[in-house]
Amino acid sequence: MASVASKTVYDIFQSMEYGASASTTATAARTWLEQHSQSLGLFVDGGFVRPVDRQTLRVTDSTGESHNSCSMICICAKEEDVSACGVSASAGFKAWSELSAHRRAKVLLRLANTLQRYSQCMSELCVLSECPCSSSALVRLAHYYAGWAQLRDTLMPNWTPRGVVAIVVSADCQFYSIWLKVLPALAMGNAVIVVPGVKMAAPALLLAQVFMEAGLPAGVLNVVTGDCALVARVAQSIHTSYLTFCGSKQDGELLAKQLAGWGVPTSLSLSVSAVCPFIIFESADIDSAVDGVIEAAFKKNKDWQWVLCVQESMWDSVVGRLKLRMTGMKCVPLASEAHRSLVETAVQQAVQQGATLIQSCPPPSTGGLYPPTVLCGLAPPCSAVTTPPPGPLLPLLSFRSVVEGVTLGNHSPHGQAASIWTEDLTLALETARSLKVGSVWVNSHSVTDPSLPQSGRRDSGNCTNGGKEGLYQFLCPSLTPRMPRSTPRSLDYSAFGTAASTFMVPEGFDPSSVPRSCSQFIGGKLCKADSGCIRVVSSPGGAVLAYCADGGRKDIRNAVEAALKVQPGWLRKSSAARAQSLYALADSLDKRRRDMAASIQAQTGISMDEANEEVELSISRLSDWAARCDKQSGVVPPLPQTGSAFLIPEALGVVGIVLPDTRPLLCLVSLLGAAVAMGNAVIMVPSEKHPLPAIDFIQILQVSDIPGGVVSIITGGRDQLTQALANHSEIQAIWYWGSVEGCQFLQYTCCSPLKRMWLHCEEEVDEEGGRYWTHPSPSFEEEMWREAVVWKSVWIPTA
Amino acid sequence: MLFSFSDLEWVSKARVNTQAVLKRAQQVQGRKVAKKQWQAAWLLKAVTCIDLTTLSGDDTPSNVHRLCMKASQPVRRDLLKNMDMHDKGITTAAVCVYPSRVADAVKSLKAANSSLPVASVATGFPAGQTPLKTRLDEVRMAVQDGATEIDIVINRTLALTGQWAALYDEVRQFREVCGEAHMKTILAVGELGTFTNVYKASLVSMMAGSDFIKTSTGKESVNATYPVAIVMVRAIRDYYLRTGHKVGFKPAGGIRTAQEALVWLVLMKEELGDDWLTPTLFRLGASSLLADIERQIYHYVTGCYAAYYELPMA
Repeated sequence: MASVASKTVYDIFQSMEYGASASTTATAARTWLEQHSQSLGLFVDGGFVRPVDRQTLRVTDSTGESHNSCSMICICAKEEDVSACGVSASAGFKAWSELSAHRRAKVLLRLANTLQRYSQCMSELCVLSECPCSSSALVRLAHYYAGWAQLRDTLMPNWTPRGVVAIVVSADCQFYSIWLKVLPALAMGNAVIVVPGVKMAAPALLLAQVFMEAGLPAGVLNVVTGDCALVARVAQSIHTSYLTFCGSKQDGELLAKQLAGWGVPTSLSLSVSAVCPFIIFESADIDSAVDGVIEAAFKKNKDWQWVLCVQESMWDSVVGRLKLRMTGMKCVPLASEAHRSLVETAVQQAVQQGATLIQSCPPPSTGGLYPPTVLCGLAPPCSAVTTPPPGPLLPLLSFRSVVEGVTLGNHSPHGQAASIWTEDLTLALETARSLKVGSVWVNSHSVTDPSLPQSGRRDSGNCTNGGKEGLYQFLCPSLTPRMPRSTPRSLDYSAFGTAASTFMVPEGFDPSSVPRSCSQFIGGKLCKADSGCIRVVSSPGGAVLAYCADGGRKDIRNAVEAALKVQPGWLRKSSAARAQSLYALADSLDKRRRDMAASIQAQTGISMDEANEEVELSISRLSDWAARCDKQSGVVPPLPQTGSAFLIPEALGVVGIVLPDTRPLLCLVSLLGAAVAMGNAVIMVPSEKHPLPAIDFIQILQVSDIPGGVVSIITGGRDQLTQALANHSEIQAIWYWGSVEGCQFLQYTCCSPLKRMWLHCEEEVDEEGGRYWTHPSPSFEEEMWREAVVWKSVWIPTA
Repeated sequence: MLFSFSDLEWVSKARVNTQAVLKRAQQVQGRKVAKKQWQAAWLLKAVTCIDLTTLSGDDTPSNVHRLCMKASQPVRRDLLKNMDMHDKGITTAAVCVYPSRVADAVKSLKAANSSLPVASVATGFPAGQTPLKTRLDEVRMAVQDGATEIDIVINRTLALTGQWAALYDEVRQFREVCGEAHMKTILAVGELGTFTNVYKASLVSMMAGSDFIKTSTGKESVNATYPVAIVMVRAIRDYYLRTGHKVGFKPAGGIRTAQEALVWLVLMKEELGDDWLTPTLFRLGASSLLADIERQIYHYVTGCYAAYYELPMA
C-alpha cells in the first residue's frame, strides 16, 4: 500500500478515502503548559502552589509518548496541603457567602465572558488530556447558574449554603461533570475543593485560573490533585461539610465506605458505569434510530454503556441497517491496552453463548484498537449485557411487545438514562413514565443541558445534578440541626444490629393491672413478630405500659413484600384521591385526639397540654401533606433547543423510616405524610424508647382508606431493624434518626446496593425539645418532600 | 420487478422523525475531507458525477453546443496533466437539456466524437401539470431524438393527496415509454410538504422502476437540501435492503460551490457507502458548480486563485 504522502490523486479518486484529518497543533494549550513548565501545582488560596518534595504523577497527553516534552506532571498533595486548602476554603467560604447574591452572580457572569476568551486554550487542553469538552457547554453552564446565583435569596429563602464542599471526580468521568457540580455549589454560596481525576487535572487547573481572573475571591475554589488516599483526606478534613462524587460504582463504593462515620453527608453520581437501554419500537423512524445508536455506542469517550433493545418485528430492518451503516467504520481506540483483553473476553463469551457479530472490520491482531461490534441475539443472562466491558461493544436484544420492552429496560440495577424511539406520542409518554431512570430521551440520546437535571436511580447514584433541583444538594434548611462531625468508631459492620434482644420479665409484677400486648402493623394487618418475641414498653418512670412485638428481619421482609404489591396502585391513584385519603386520616386522628394525647403523655411524660399541642400539630401537619398531594407538580424547563422537556417528581418506591425519639407522634405523621403523599410506601420503625404513640396510631391507620401495605409499622430494636432495612435491596431510601453508630453503619452498608439516605444523628439531647419539628421552617417541609421524590427529566426534541 | 398493491403497505408504514434527520444532516456537514490531493481527487470525482445542465427559455443550439464541449472537457487539460489525470477519461456524467434541445446536443456531441449521454427533462417539466398523454408523448419524442436519460417529474397532486397507487401507475407508464433510456424521477421535494411524504414518494418512484431519484427541478423555492437528501437516500437504502436493487440519487438545484459538492459526496459515502460514489449511482444536477470546482482544482495545482476568464467558459 502506498504511504499517505505518496498517495496520488488517482489513488484517492478510486478509493475515495477521507484522508487523515490534520492534527491540531494545540499551540495555545502548549504555551499555557510551558508557562507552567509542564509541572502543574495545586491551586490553593487563589494561586498556584508547588510545594517541594511531593510525589509526582506523570500524565501523558493524547499525542502519546512521542511528544514527551509535553507530558504534564501533577503533584500529589500531602496532609499539610490538604489542611492549608481547608483553611483557605473556610476563609473563602466566609468571604463568598457574605457577598450579596448579585455580587456572586456577577462573578459567574464574568466567568462566562472570561471563559470565552480562553475557549481555544481550554478545548485544546481538554483534547490533550483526553477529556474533550466543548467550551460553549461550559459557558452555557456559567450563564445558567449565574441566574440561580442572582435569584437564590428571592426564590430559595430559608436555605443556607453548606459551607466547604468537596467535589470529587474520577478520571473516567466527563470533564463537564465536574463543573455541573462546581457551578451550582458556587452559585449557592459554597466554597469548593475540587479533586479532579489525574487525567483532567490540567484543564481543571486552567479553569480555576479562569475563575480567579473572573474575580472569584481567593480560597473559594481550590483544586488539589493526588492519589486515591487524597480523596479521603480531603473529605475527613475538619473544614469539609459535604462531599459529592462522580465516577464509577467501584470507586464510589470505596469512597463511601472510607467516609462512614466521619459525619460528612455524601452523595454519589455513578453515571460512569451505568448501562442504559436504547429502545427501538416498531413505530420508530428506524434509520434515525440506527444512526442514533451508532453515534452513541461507538464513540471513544462514551458517556455510558448502551444496550440496544429492538422490537422483534423490526429486528431484520435494524440488523440490515446496522450492517450497511457500519461497513467501513474505523476501529475505536480503547482507553487502555488492558481494556482490549476485557473486550475480547466478552466477545468470545458472547459468541460461545450463540451471539452473532456485526463488525465493521476484523479486529487488528494487537494494540488498543477495536472495531465497532454489535453482539446480536444475546440474552439478559449474558455478562456482556449486564456488565458490558468498556469499548465499542453494543449488545442487541429483542422484545415482543411494548410492555415487554419497558420491562426489559427496567430489569437492571442501573437507572441513569434511556433513549426511546417511536413516532407514536402516546407510546412515548407512557414509556417515559414507566422507565425507572433519571433521564429519558425520546427520539434522541445523550442530550445534556444545565436546565435538564440528571439524576441517577438505583445503583446509578443518589443525587441530582443540574437544573434548580441540582442546587439543593448544596443547601440545607436554615434552622435544622446538621449532622455533627465525628470520627469513626470501631464498629463491626457484620455484627451491627444482630444482637438478640432479651426479654426481661419486669420486676415488681403487679397482677392487678396486666399491661396490654400490642401487635405491629404489616400489610394492613395486625400481627405478632415473626420470631414471636416481645419487648417491654415502659414509661419514663419505669412502669410497664405495654408489651410490643420485637420485630426483626422477617417482619421487614414481609412488610416490603406487602408494600411492593400495593405501592404501584397507590401511585397510580390520582393525586386528588391520595389527598382525600390523607385528609380522612387527619380526620380520624382528630376524632381520637384524646386517646393519642394520653398515649403521648404516658409514653414521654410531658404535660397533658404539651401532648394536646402535639396532637393538634400532627393533625395540621397531615392536612398540610394532604393539601400538597396535588399541588407539588413537575416543571417544564425552558431549553435552548426546540422541543418539549418536562421534569417529573416521581415516587421512590419503598422508603424505610427509623423515627426519632422526640415528638413521637408529630415526627411519625410528618414523615409518613411526606412519603405517602408523593406516592411512596413506607415501613416505619417507631422510636425504641417511645413507641407507644406509634402503636396507638395503628388503630387509626387500620380504619383509614389508605391501602394496607402502604404504611407498615414495625416495633422492635432500632439497630436490629435498621440492619434489616439496610439489607433489603427493594428499599430505595432510608430516613434515619438515631445513633452515630447507626449513621456510620448505614453509610457503610447502603452504598451497595445504593440507597438514598437521609441521616440524622440524635445522640446529643435536643435542648429545644424538637423545636424544628413543632415550628419547622418552610424549607424543612420542602426538604422532606424533596427527599420523598426522585426527579425524572424527559426530553422530546422537535424540529 | 413488479409490485402489487399490497406492497404499498410498506409505503404507508414509512416514518420520518424530522429533528433526528436535521441533526444527522448537521453531523454529515461536519465530516471533513482532508486537504490537498484528497480534496482534488474528491472534486474530480464530483466533476464526473455532474449532469451539466442548461434549462432556460433562451437555450439555442449555440449555447447547448458550448455546454456539450465543456462537458466533454470539464477541466483544463494542463491542470489534469499536472495531477496525472489527463488520461483517466474525466468528463461530466451527462449533459441535461429540455426535450426540444436534445437533437442539438446529440449532434454537437457526435461531431466532437463524444459518447457522453444526453439527458432530457420531460413530462411537463417543471410543474408536471399537463395531461398524462402529452407527458408520455414528450418522453417518447425525447427518446426518439437520442436522449438516453430521461428526468421525469412526478405528479405532485397525486403525492399530496396520498394517491400513491395512482402515482405508482403513472411512473410505471413513464418507465415503459422510456424503454432503454435511464429514468430519473424528480420528486420536487420543495412541494411535498413533509419528510414523510418525501420518503413515501421516493419509495413509490423506486418501486415503479426509477433508476435514479432526484430532489428537485431547480425551479421550486426549496431545492436540494441535505436533510431532504438524507430522507431520500434512506429510502434508497430501505429499497436496497428489501429488493437488493441499487437505485441512484441525484440532488439538483442550488448546488453552486465546490464545498457543497464535497458535502454531497460525504453524505453519499456516510449514508450509502462507497458503492454510491460513482456516476452510475450518483449525479449532481448543476450548471455553475463546475466553474467553482475548476477554480479550486486550479488552486490545488498552481497555488493561486484563477480569474473566471482564465478557465474556459461553458
